[in-house]
Amino acid sequence: MREEAFRFGRARHLVGIAGLPEGARGETGVIVLNAGMVHRIGPFRLHVELTRQLNAAGYPTLRFDLSTLGDSGASGGGLTRTQQVSADVDDAMKLLAERAGCEHFVLVGLCSGAQNAHTVAASDPRVSGAVFLDGYAYQTVGYKLRHYLPRMFDPARWARFLRHRAGGGGSDKPASEPVFAVAPAPREEVIADFTGMVGRGMKLYLVYSGGISFCFNHARQFRECFGKVMDHPAVTTSYRAETDHTYILTGDRARLVDGIGGWVARNFPPAAGRHA
Amino acid sequence: MRTDPELPFFFGADSGLFGMYHAPATSPRRAVLMCPPLGQELIRTHRLYRQLAQALAAQGLAVLRFDYHGTGDSAGESTDVDWQRCVGDAVSAAGELRSRAGVDRVVAFGARLGGSIALAAADRARFTEVIAWDPVVDGDDYVAALDTMQAALREDADRFNQPRSQADVAEQWLGFDIGDSLRKQIKALRVPAPNVPTLVLDSLPASAAPRWDHLVSQRGKVATIAPPTPWSDLRRLETAILSHPLIQAVTGRLTEGA
Repeated sequence: MREEAFRFGRARHLVGIAGLPEGARGETGVIVLNAGMVHRIGPFRLHVELTRQLNAAGYPTLRFDLSTLGDSGASGGGLTRTQQVSADVDDAMKLLAERAGCEHFVLVGLCSGAQNAHTVAASDPRVSGAVFLDGYAYQTVGYKLRHYLPRMFDPARWARFLRHRAGGGGSDKPASEPVFAVAPAPREEVIADFTGMVGRGMKLYLVYSGGISFCFNHARQFRECFGKVMDHPAVTTSYRAETDHTYILTGDRARLVDGIGGWVARNFPPAAGRHA
Repeated sequence: MRTDPELPFFFGADSGLFGMYHAPATSPRRAVLMCPPLGQELIRTHRLYRQLAQALAAQGLAVLRFDYHGTGDSAGESTDVDWQRCVGDAVSAAGELRSRAGVDRVVAFGARLGGSIALAAADRARFTEVIAWDPVVDGDDYVAALDTMQAALREDADRFNQPRSQADVAEQWLGFDIGDSLRKQIKALRVPAPNVPTLVLDSLPASAAPRWDHLVSQRGKVATIAPPTPWSDLRRLETAILSHPLIQAVTGRLTEGA
Protein backbone atom coordinates (compact mmCIF):
# COMPACT_ATOMS: atom_id res chain seq x y z
CA MET A 1 0.00 0.00 0.00
CA ARG A 2 1.18 3.48 -0.70
CA GLU A 3 -0.28 6.86 0.17
CA GLU A 4 -0.11 9.83 -2.15
CA ALA A 5 -0.88 13.45 -1.34
CA PHE A 6 -3.01 15.35 -3.82
CA ARG A 7 -4.12 18.87 -4.50
CA PHE A 8 -7.14 18.38 -6.73
CA GLY A 9 -10.60 19.59 -7.63
CA ARG A 10 -12.07 21.89 -10.25
CA ALA A 11 -10.22 24.86 -8.73
CA ARG A 12 -7.32 22.74 -7.37
CA HIS A 13 -8.63 23.86 -4.02
CA LEU A 14 -8.90 20.49 -2.30
CA VAL A 15 -6.24 18.54 -0.39
CA GLY A 16 -6.43 14.82 0.27
CA ILE A 17 -4.48 11.64 0.86
CA ALA A 18 -5.23 8.67 -1.38
CA GLY A 19 -4.40 5.19 -0.11
CA LEU A 20 -3.69 2.95 -3.06
CA PRO A 21 -3.24 -0.80 -2.47
CA GLU A 22 -0.36 -2.28 -4.45
CA GLY A 23 -1.34 -3.77 -7.76
CA ALA A 24 -5.04 -3.39 -7.18
CA ARG A 25 -7.48 -1.37 -9.18
CA GLY A 26 -10.57 -1.74 -7.07
CA GLU A 27 -14.08 -1.29 -8.33
CA THR A 28 -15.17 0.16 -5.00
CA GLY A 29 -13.33 3.04 -3.37
CA VAL A 30 -13.96 4.46 0.08
CA ILE A 31 -14.07 8.22 0.66
CA VAL A 32 -13.99 9.65 4.17
CA LEU A 33 -15.43 13.12 4.81
CA ASN A 34 -14.49 15.63 7.52
CA ALA A 35 -15.99 15.19 10.97
CA GLY A 36 -16.96 18.70 12.02
CA MET A 37 -14.01 21.07 11.73
CA VAL A 38 -11.34 18.41 12.26
CA HIS A 39 -8.97 18.11 9.31
CA ARG A 40 -8.85 14.97 7.21
CA ILE A 41 -6.98 12.77 9.72
CA GLY A 42 -10.21 12.65 11.73
CA PRO A 43 -10.87 12.82 15.47
CA PHE A 44 -7.88 11.26 17.24
CA ARG A 45 -6.64 10.10 13.81
CA LEU A 46 -9.71 7.89 13.24
CA HIS A 47 -9.70 8.47 9.49
CA VAL A 48 -6.04 7.52 9.14
CA GLU A 49 -6.57 4.27 11.03
CA LEU A 50 -9.73 3.47 9.05
CA THR A 51 -8.35 4.17 5.59
CA ARG A 52 -5.12 2.24 6.23
CA GLN A 53 -7.03 -0.80 7.47
CA LEU A 54 -9.23 -0.67 4.37
CA ASN A 55 -6.13 -0.29 2.18
CA ALA A 56 -4.67 -3.42 3.80
CA ALA A 57 -7.86 -5.23 2.80
CA GLY A 58 -7.38 -4.05 -0.79
CA TYR A 59 -9.70 -1.05 -1.01
CA PRO A 60 -8.53 2.27 -2.46
CA THR A 61 -9.39 5.16 -0.17
CA LEU A 62 -9.35 8.94 -0.05
CA ARG A 63 -9.48 11.06 3.09
CA PHE A 64 -9.75 14.70 2.14
CA ASP A 65 -10.74 18.15 3.31
CA LEU A 66 -13.92 19.70 1.95
CA SER A 67 -13.75 23.31 0.74
CA THR A 68 -12.58 25.72 3.49
CA LEU A 69 -11.91 22.91 5.98
CA GLY A 70 -8.48 21.62 6.96
CA ASP A 71 -6.00 22.43 4.22
CA SER A 72 -8.55 22.97 1.46
CA GLY A 73 -9.37 26.41 0.15
CA ALA A 74 -12.49 27.90 -1.34
CA SER A 75 -13.36 27.19 -4.95
CA GLY A 76 -14.74 30.66 -5.54
CA GLY A 77 -17.69 29.29 -7.46
CA GLY A 78 -20.49 31.01 -5.59
CA LEU A 79 -22.19 27.75 -4.71
CA THR A 80 -24.36 27.06 -1.68
CA ARG A 81 -22.68 24.88 0.96
CA THR A 82 -24.74 21.87 -0.10
CA GLN A 83 -23.83 22.40 -3.75
CA GLN A 84 -20.20 22.87 -2.75
CA VAL A 85 -20.14 19.62 -0.78
CA SER A 86 -21.61 17.74 -3.73
CA ALA A 87 -19.09 19.32 -6.11
CA ASP A 88 -16.19 18.51 -3.76
CA VAL A 89 -17.22 14.87 -3.39
CA ASP A 90 -17.67 14.70 -7.17
CA ASP A 91 -14.06 15.90 -7.50
CA ALA A 92 -12.98 13.29 -4.94
CA MET A 93 -14.73 10.47 -6.80
CA LYS A 94 -13.15 11.56 -10.07
CA LEU A 95 -9.71 11.53 -8.45
CA LEU A 96 -10.14 8.03 -7.06
CA ALA A 97 -11.56 6.84 -10.39
CA GLU A 98 -8.53 8.22 -12.18
CA ARG A 99 -5.92 6.94 -9.72
CA ALA A 100 -7.43 3.56 -8.80
CA GLY A 101 -10.06 2.77 -11.42
CA CYS A 102 -12.94 2.99 -8.96
CA GLU A 103 -16.42 3.05 -10.44
CA HIS A 104 -18.44 2.91 -7.23
CA PHE A 105 -17.90 4.53 -3.89
CA VAL A 106 -18.65 4.10 -0.23
CA LEU A 107 -18.89 7.37 1.70
CA VAL A 108 -18.03 7.49 5.39
CA GLY A 109 -18.88 10.43 7.63
CA LEU A 110 -19.21 11.24 11.32
CA CYS A 111 -21.75 13.83 12.47
CA SER A 112 -21.62 16.69 9.94
CA GLY A 113 -19.67 14.22 7.78
CA ALA A 114 -22.64 11.85 7.95
CA GLN A 115 -24.91 14.69 6.95
CA ASN A 116 -22.71 15.52 3.97
CA ALA A 117 -22.43 11.84 3.01
CA HIS A 118 -26.22 11.63 3.19
CA THR A 119 -26.65 14.62 0.90
CA VAL A 120 -24.42 13.14 -1.80
CA ALA A 121 -25.61 9.54 -1.37
CA ALA A 122 -29.21 10.64 -1.86
CA SER A 123 -28.56 11.88 -5.36
CA ASP A 124 -25.36 10.43 -6.85
CA PRO A 125 -25.71 7.02 -8.54
CA ARG A 126 -21.98 6.32 -8.18
CA VAL A 127 -22.41 6.00 -4.42
CA SER A 128 -23.10 2.34 -3.68
CA GLY A 129 -22.69 2.41 0.09
CA ALA A 130 -22.59 4.80 3.02
CA VAL A 131 -21.51 4.65 6.64
CA PHE A 132 -23.33 7.20 8.78
CA LEU A 133 -21.72 7.72 12.19
CA ASP A 134 -24.05 9.68 14.46
CA GLY A 135 -26.04 10.97 11.53
CA TYR A 136 -29.61 12.22 11.53
CA ALA A 137 -31.55 11.37 14.69
CA TYR A 138 -34.81 12.46 16.25
CA GLN A 139 -36.17 12.30 19.76
CA THR A 140 -39.02 9.79 19.61
CA VAL A 141 -41.69 8.88 22.15
CA GLY A 142 -39.59 5.84 22.97
CA TYR A 143 -36.57 8.05 23.52
CA LYS A 144 -38.46 10.26 25.94
CA LEU A 145 -39.83 7.32 27.89
CA ARG A 146 -36.39 5.76 28.17
CA HIS A 147 -34.86 9.10 29.11
CA TYR A 148 -37.36 10.53 31.57
CA LEU A 149 -39.08 7.55 33.20
CA PRO A 150 -36.01 6.24 35.06
CA ARG A 151 -35.31 9.76 36.25
CA MET A 152 -38.80 10.16 37.71
CA PHE A 153 -38.20 7.23 40.04
CA ASP A 154 -34.64 8.08 41.00
CA PRO A 155 -34.61 9.49 44.59
CA ALA A 156 -31.05 10.74 44.27
CA ARG A 157 -31.98 12.76 41.20
CA TRP A 158 -34.98 14.29 43.03
CA ALA A 159 -32.74 15.16 45.97
CA ARG A 160 -30.27 16.87 43.62
CA PHE A 161 -33.08 18.73 41.93
CA LEU A 162 -34.52 20.00 45.20
CA ARG A 163 -31.10 21.03 46.52
CA HIS A 164 -30.45 22.85 43.29
CA ARG A 165 -33.77 24.69 43.46
CA ALA A 166 -33.30 25.64 47.11
CA GLY A 167 -29.88 26.98 46.27
CA GLY A 168 -31.20 29.39 43.69
CA GLY A 169 -30.82 27.21 40.64
CA GLY A 170 -27.47 28.54 39.44
CA SER A 171 -25.22 26.17 37.62
CA ASP A 172 -21.86 25.53 39.26
CA LYS A 173 -20.53 23.46 36.38
CA PRO A 174 -19.83 25.03 33.03
CA ALA A 175 -21.06 22.94 30.14
CA SER A 176 -18.67 21.40 27.68
CA GLU A 177 -18.23 23.38 24.56
CA PRO A 178 -20.20 21.92 21.67
CA VAL A 179 -17.91 20.12 19.28
CA PHE A 180 -20.10 19.04 16.43
CA ALA A 181 -23.71 19.39 15.56
CA VAL A 182 -25.92 17.93 12.88
CA ALA A 183 -28.49 20.41 11.65
CA PRO A 184 -31.84 18.68 11.53
CA ALA A 185 -33.59 17.83 8.30
CA PRO A 186 -37.28 16.96 8.11
CA ARG A 187 -37.66 13.35 9.20
CA GLU A 188 -39.96 12.42 6.32
CA GLU A 189 -37.37 13.73 3.91
CA VAL A 190 -34.63 11.64 5.50
CA ILE A 191 -36.83 8.52 5.43
CA ALA A 192 -37.58 9.14 1.75
CA ASP A 193 -33.87 9.51 1.09
CA PHE A 194 -33.05 6.21 2.87
CA THR A 195 -35.85 4.50 0.97
CA GLY A 196 -34.54 5.81 -2.31
CA MET A 197 -30.99 4.76 -1.47
CA VAL A 198 -31.82 1.13 -0.74
CA GLY A 199 -34.26 1.14 -3.65
CA ARG A 200 -31.43 1.71 -6.06
CA GLY A 201 -29.27 -0.96 -4.44
CA MET A 202 -27.21 1.03 -1.95
CA LYS A 203 -25.97 -0.57 1.26
CA LEU A 204 -26.21 1.50 4.46
CA TYR A 205 -24.46 1.17 7.80
CA LEU A 206 -25.71 3.39 10.61
CA VAL A 207 -23.51 3.45 13.71
CA TYR A 208 -24.73 5.66 16.54
CA SER A 209 -22.91 6.29 19.80
CA GLY A 210 -23.78 6.98 23.41
CA GLY A 211 -22.26 10.40 22.81
CA ILE A 212 -25.51 11.63 21.29
CA SER A 213 -27.69 10.60 24.23
CA PHE A 214 -29.37 14.00 24.05
CA CYS A 215 -31.32 12.67 21.07
CA PHE A 216 -30.68 8.92 20.73
CA ASN A 217 -30.55 6.27 23.44
CA HIS A 218 -31.39 2.77 22.22
CA ALA A 219 -30.91 0.41 19.30
CA ARG A 220 -34.69 0.36 18.85
CA GLN A 221 -34.58 4.05 18.01
CA PHE A 222 -33.33 3.42 14.48
CA ARG A 223 -36.74 1.84 13.75
CA GLU A 224 -38.55 4.49 15.78
CA CYS A 225 -36.86 7.28 13.82
CA PHE A 226 -36.86 5.93 10.31
CA GLY A 227 -39.55 3.25 10.19
CA LYS A 228 -39.61 0.07 8.17
CA VAL A 229 -36.76 1.00 5.84
CA MET A 230 -34.50 0.07 8.77
CA ASP A 231 -35.69 -3.53 8.34
CA HIS A 232 -34.46 -3.66 4.76
CA PRO A 233 -31.68 -6.24 4.31
CA ALA A 234 -29.44 -3.55 2.80
CA VAL A 235 -29.47 -1.63 6.08
CA THR A 236 -27.23 -2.52 9.01
CA THR A 237 -27.47 -0.66 12.30
CA SER A 238 -25.31 -0.59 15.39
CA TYR A 239 -25.86 1.30 18.63
CA ARG A 240 -22.79 1.63 20.85
CA ALA A 241 -24.10 3.00 24.12
CA GLU A 242 -20.77 2.89 25.92
CA THR A 243 -18.80 5.01 23.47
CA ASP A 244 -18.53 8.74 23.14
CA HIS A 245 -19.25 10.74 20.01
CA THR A 246 -15.69 10.84 18.66
CA TYR A 247 -14.32 7.48 19.86
CA ILE A 248 -11.64 8.92 22.10
CA LEU A 249 -10.75 5.57 23.65
CA THR A 250 -8.49 3.54 21.42
CA GLY A 251 -10.33 0.27 22.11
CA ASP A 252 -13.66 1.81 21.06
CA ARG A 253 -12.01 3.22 17.96
CA ALA A 254 -10.44 -0.11 17.02
CA ARG A 255 -13.80 -1.84 17.35
CA LEU A 256 -15.45 0.81 15.18
CA VAL A 257 -12.77 0.48 12.51
CA ASP A 258 -13.09 -3.33 12.61
CA GLY A 259 -16.85 -2.99 12.34
CA ILE A 260 -16.68 -0.76 9.29
CA GLY A 261 -14.01 -2.96 7.71
CA GLY A 262 -16.16 -6.05 8.23
CA TRP A 263 -19.24 -4.33 6.84
CA VAL A 264 -17.34 -3.16 3.74
CA ALA A 265 -15.91 -6.66 3.18
CA ARG A 266 -19.34 -8.29 3.49
CA ASN A 267 -21.16 -5.84 1.27
CA PHE A 268 -18.46 -5.09 -1.28
CA PRO A 269 -16.56 -8.37 -1.31
CA PRO A 270 -13.04 -8.32 -2.71
CA ALA A 271 -13.88 -10.99 -5.32
CA ALA A 272 -16.62 -8.85 -6.80
CA GLY A 273 -14.60 -5.70 -6.49
CA ARG A 274 -11.34 -6.98 -7.99
CA HIS A 275 -9.50 -6.00 -4.83
CA ALA A 276 -6.12 -7.34 -3.91
CA MET B 1 3.69 24.82 -15.55
CA ARG B 2 1.47 25.98 -12.75
CA THR B 3 2.96 26.19 -9.25
CA ASP B 4 0.63 25.74 -6.33
CA PRO B 5 1.30 28.13 -3.45
CA GLU B 6 0.50 25.32 -1.01
CA LEU B 7 1.78 21.91 -2.02
CA PRO B 8 1.08 18.68 -0.10
CA PHE B 9 3.70 15.96 -0.52
CA PHE B 10 5.53 13.11 1.16
CA PHE B 11 9.27 13.17 1.86
CA GLY B 12 11.98 11.60 4.01
CA ALA B 13 12.90 7.97 4.47
CA ASP B 14 10.53 5.77 2.43
CA SER B 15 8.61 8.95 1.65
CA GLY B 16 6.85 8.46 4.96
CA LEU B 17 6.65 12.03 6.23
CA PHE B 18 3.78 14.29 5.20
CA GLY B 19 4.56 17.91 4.45
CA MET B 20 2.75 21.01 3.27
CA TYR B 21 5.01 23.53 1.59
CA HIS B 22 3.90 27.17 1.47
CA ALA B 23 5.77 28.95 -1.29
CA PRO B 24 6.04 32.75 -1.14
CA ALA B 25 5.30 34.77 -4.24
CA THR B 26 8.88 36.00 -4.48
CA SER B 27 12.21 34.31 -4.00
CA PRO B 28 12.66 33.84 -0.23
CA ARG B 29 15.70 34.78 1.85
CA ARG B 30 14.58 32.84 4.91
CA ALA B 31 12.36 29.91 5.68
CA VAL B 32 10.28 28.75 8.64
CA LEU B 33 9.86 25.15 9.75
CA MET B 34 6.69 24.64 11.76
CA CYS B 35 7.08 21.78 14.23
CA PRO B 36 3.67 20.56 15.42
CA PRO B 37 2.86 19.45 18.95
CA LEU B 38 1.92 15.82 19.62
CA GLY B 39 -1.36 14.09 20.35
CA GLN B 40 -4.58 16.05 20.51
CA GLU B 41 -2.66 19.34 20.56
CA LEU B 42 -1.58 18.61 16.98
CA ILE B 43 -5.21 18.41 15.90
CA ARG B 44 -6.26 21.43 17.95
CA THR B 45 -3.56 23.66 16.44
CA HIS B 46 -3.83 22.49 12.82
CA ARG B 47 -5.95 25.43 11.73
CA LEU B 48 -3.75 27.95 13.52
CA TYR B 49 -0.60 26.46 11.99
CA ARG B 50 -2.12 26.85 8.54
CA GLN B 51 -3.14 30.45 9.22
CA LEU B 52 0.33 31.27 10.52
CA ALA B 53 2.00 29.56 7.56
CA GLN B 54 -0.12 31.57 5.14
CA ALA B 55 0.65 34.80 6.96
CA LEU B 56 4.39 34.09 6.91
CA ALA B 57 4.34 33.10 3.23
CA ALA B 58 2.49 36.34 2.49
CA GLN B 59 5.40 38.29 3.95
CA GLY B 60 7.91 36.48 1.77
CA LEU B 61 9.03 33.50 3.86
CA ALA B 62 9.04 29.91 2.64
CA VAL B 63 7.21 27.69 5.14
CA LEU B 64 7.01 23.96 5.69
CA ARG B 65 4.46 22.29 7.94
CA PHE B 66 4.92 18.57 8.51
CA ASP B 67 3.84 15.58 10.62
CA TYR B 68 6.25 13.37 12.57
CA HIS B 69 6.29 9.60 12.01
CA GLY B 70 3.20 8.11 13.65
CA THR B 71 1.29 11.40 13.69
CA GLY B 72 -1.06 13.25 11.34
CA ASP B 73 -0.87 12.02 7.76
CA SER B 74 2.64 10.59 8.10
CA ALA B 75 3.33 6.87 8.01
CA GLY B 76 3.32 4.86 11.20
CA GLU B 77 0.87 4.16 13.97
CA SER B 78 0.30 6.36 16.97
CA THR B 79 2.07 3.78 19.13
CA ASP B 80 5.20 4.26 16.99
CA VAL B 81 5.74 7.87 18.09
CA ASP B 82 9.23 8.18 19.54
CA TRP B 83 10.86 11.31 20.90
CA GLN B 84 14.24 10.82 19.26
CA ARG B 85 12.57 10.05 15.96
CA CYS B 86 10.49 13.23 16.23
CA VAL B 87 13.68 15.23 16.68
CA GLY B 88 15.23 13.38 13.75
CA ASP B 89 12.15 14.07 11.62
CA ALA B 90 12.47 17.78 12.40
CA VAL B 91 16.08 17.64 11.20
CA SER B 92 14.99 15.88 7.98
CA ALA B 93 12.21 18.40 7.47
CA ALA B 94 14.67 21.28 7.85
CA GLY B 95 16.79 19.74 5.10
CA GLU B 96 13.76 19.28 2.88
CA LEU B 97 12.76 22.89 3.44
CA ARG B 98 16.24 24.19 2.57
CA SER B 99 16.17 22.15 -0.61
CA ARG B 100 12.73 23.32 -1.71
CA ALA B 101 13.16 26.97 -0.76
CA GLY B 102 16.76 27.30 -1.90
CA VAL B 103 17.75 29.05 1.32
CA ASP B 104 20.03 28.12 4.18
CA ARG B 105 18.55 30.23 6.98
CA VAL B 106 15.75 28.33 8.67
CA VAL B 107 13.81 29.54 11.71
CA ALA B 108 11.85 26.95 13.69
CA PHE B 109 8.46 27.53 15.26
CA GLY B 110 6.71 25.09 17.55
CA ALA B 111 3.86 24.97 20.06
CA ARG B 112 4.02 22.88 23.26
CA LEU B 113 6.02 19.69 22.55
CA GLY B 114 6.58 21.05 19.05
CA GLY B 115 8.51 23.90 20.64
CA SER B 116 10.46 21.42 22.75
CA ILE B 117 11.30 19.37 19.66
CA ALA B 118 12.43 22.50 17.81
CA LEU B 119 14.69 23.42 20.72
CA ALA B 120 16.08 19.88 20.96
CA ALA B 121 16.76 19.78 17.20
CA ALA B 122 18.21 23.30 16.97
CA ASP B 123 21.88 22.31 16.68
CA ARG B 124 21.46 19.34 14.35
CA ALA B 125 18.97 21.17 12.15
CA ARG B 126 21.09 24.35 12.14
CA PHE B 127 18.15 26.58 12.98
CA THR B 128 19.07 30.25 13.04
CA GLU B 129 16.39 30.94 15.63
CA VAL B 130 13.71 29.11 17.58
CA ILE B 131 10.30 30.54 18.42
CA ALA B 132 8.66 28.32 21.02
CA TRP B 133 5.06 28.83 22.12
CA ASP B 134 4.42 27.49 25.62
CA PRO B 135 7.07 24.82 25.12
CA VAL B 136 7.13 21.86 27.48
CA VAL B 137 10.32 22.19 29.48
CA ASP B 138 9.53 19.91 32.40
CA GLY B 139 8.41 16.45 31.30
CA ASP B 140 7.38 15.40 34.80
CA ASP B 141 4.79 18.15 35.06
CA TYR B 142 3.50 17.53 31.55
CA VAL B 143 3.08 13.79 32.11
CA ALA B 144 1.34 14.45 35.42
CA ALA B 145 -1.08 16.87 33.74
CA LEU B 146 -1.90 14.40 30.98
CA ASP B 147 -2.39 11.58 33.48
CA THR B 148 -4.75 13.78 35.49
CA MET B 149 -6.79 14.66 32.42
CA GLN B 150 -6.91 11.03 31.29
CA ALA B 151 -8.14 9.97 34.75
CA ALA B 152 -10.84 12.65 34.64
CA LEU B 153 -11.82 11.55 31.15
CA ARG B 154 -12.71 8.08 32.43
CA GLU B 155 -15.68 9.42 34.31
CA ASP B 156 -16.47 12.48 32.22
CA ALA B 157 -20.28 12.58 32.27
CA ASP B 158 -20.31 15.02 29.35
CA ARG B 159 -18.66 12.34 27.23
CA PHE B 160 -19.74 8.92 28.52
CA ASN B 161 -23.13 7.66 29.71
CA GLN B 162 -21.36 5.53 32.31
CA PRO B 163 -17.83 5.79 33.73
CA ARG B 164 -15.41 3.58 31.84
CA SER B 165 -13.17 0.95 33.36
CA GLN B 166 -9.55 1.59 34.26
CA ALA B 167 -8.56 -0.87 31.55
CA ASP B 168 -10.53 1.06 28.93
CA VAL B 169 -8.49 4.22 29.50
CA ALA B 170 -5.11 2.68 30.36
CA GLU B 171 -1.93 3.51 28.45
CA GLN B 172 -3.56 6.35 26.55
CA TRP B 173 -3.40 10.12 26.63
CA LEU B 174 -6.50 11.91 25.42
CA GLY B 175 -7.29 9.78 22.40
CA PHE B 176 -3.93 8.24 21.59
CA ASP B 177 -2.15 5.06 22.67
CA ILE B 178 1.04 5.83 24.52
CA GLY B 179 3.81 3.30 24.59
CA ASP B 180 5.88 2.92 27.72
CA SER B 181 8.92 4.19 25.86
CA LEU B 182 7.40 7.54 24.85
CA ARG B 183 6.01 8.02 28.32
CA LYS B 184 9.47 7.57 29.82
CA GLN B 185 11.05 9.81 27.19
CA ILE B 186 8.66 12.67 27.85
CA LYS B 187 8.83 12.20 31.62
CA ALA B 188 12.59 12.54 31.44
CA LEU B 189 12.39 15.57 29.15
CA ARG B 190 14.62 18.46 30.19
CA VAL B 191 15.03 20.83 27.27
CA PRO B 192 18.49 22.38 27.21
CA ALA B 193 19.10 25.99 26.33
CA PRO B 194 19.77 26.18 22.60
CA ASN B 195 22.81 27.87 21.12
CA VAL B 196 20.65 30.10 18.94
CA PRO B 197 18.45 33.12 19.62
CA THR B 198 15.22 31.97 21.23
CA LEU B 199 11.87 33.67 21.63
CA VAL B 200 9.50 32.07 24.12
CA LEU B 201 5.88 33.08 23.64
CA ASP B 202 4.15 32.55 26.95
CA SER B 203 0.38 32.16 27.09
CA LEU B 204 0.16 29.79 30.05
CA PRO B 205 -2.01 30.78 33.00
CA ALA B 206 0.06 32.64 35.60
CA SER B 207 -0.35 29.76 38.04
CA ALA B 208 1.07 27.26 35.55
CA ALA B 209 3.81 29.33 33.98
CA PRO B 210 7.15 27.61 34.34
CA ARG B 211 10.36 29.49 34.68
CA TRP B 212 11.81 30.05 31.25
CA ASP B 213 15.03 31.50 32.64
CA HIS B 214 17.31 28.71 31.54
CA LEU B 215 15.98 28.82 27.97
CA VAL B 216 16.48 32.53 27.47
CA SER B 217 19.39 33.32 29.74
CA GLN B 218 21.89 33.71 26.94
CA ARG B 219 20.34 34.81 23.68
CA GLY B 220 16.64 34.85 24.19
CA LYS B 221 13.63 36.65 25.48
CA VAL B 222 10.12 35.97 26.66
CA ALA B 223 6.99 37.67 25.36
CA THR B 224 3.61 37.24 26.95
CA ILE B 225 0.52 36.53 24.89
CA ALA B 226 -2.96 37.15 26.20
CA PRO B 227 -5.43 35.65 26.80
CA PRO B 228 -4.10 32.40 28.31
CA THR B 229 -4.39 29.36 26.03
CA PRO B 230 -6.63 26.58 27.43
CA TRP B 231 -4.26 23.71 26.65
CA SER B 232 -5.31 21.63 29.67
CA ASP B 233 -9.06 22.21 29.81
CA LEU B 234 -10.79 18.86 29.31
CA ARG B 235 -14.04 20.59 28.35
CA ARG B 236 -12.30 22.16 25.37
CA LEU B 237 -10.38 19.06 24.36
CA GLU B 238 -11.86 19.02 20.87
CA THR B 239 -12.04 22.75 20.34
CA ALA B 240 -9.56 24.29 17.93
CA ILE B 241 -6.97 26.62 19.40
CA LEU B 242 -6.93 29.88 17.49
CA SER B 243 -4.91 32.95 18.43
CA HIS B 244 -4.59 36.14 16.47
CA PRO B 245 -2.12 37.53 19.03
CA LEU B 246 0.13 34.52 18.41
CA ILE B 247 0.09 35.12 14.65
CA GLN B 248 0.86 38.79 15.22
CA ALA B 249 3.73 37.96 17.57
CA VAL B 250 5.40 35.52 15.17
CA THR B 251 4.87 37.50 11.99
CA GLY B 252 6.05 40.63 13.80
CA ARG B 253 9.21 38.90 14.93
CA LEU B 254 9.98 37.66 11.43
CA THR B 255 9.08 40.80 9.51
CA GLU B 256 12.59 42.17 9.46
CA GLY B 257 14.74 40.90 6.66
CA ALA B 258 12.26 38.37 5.33
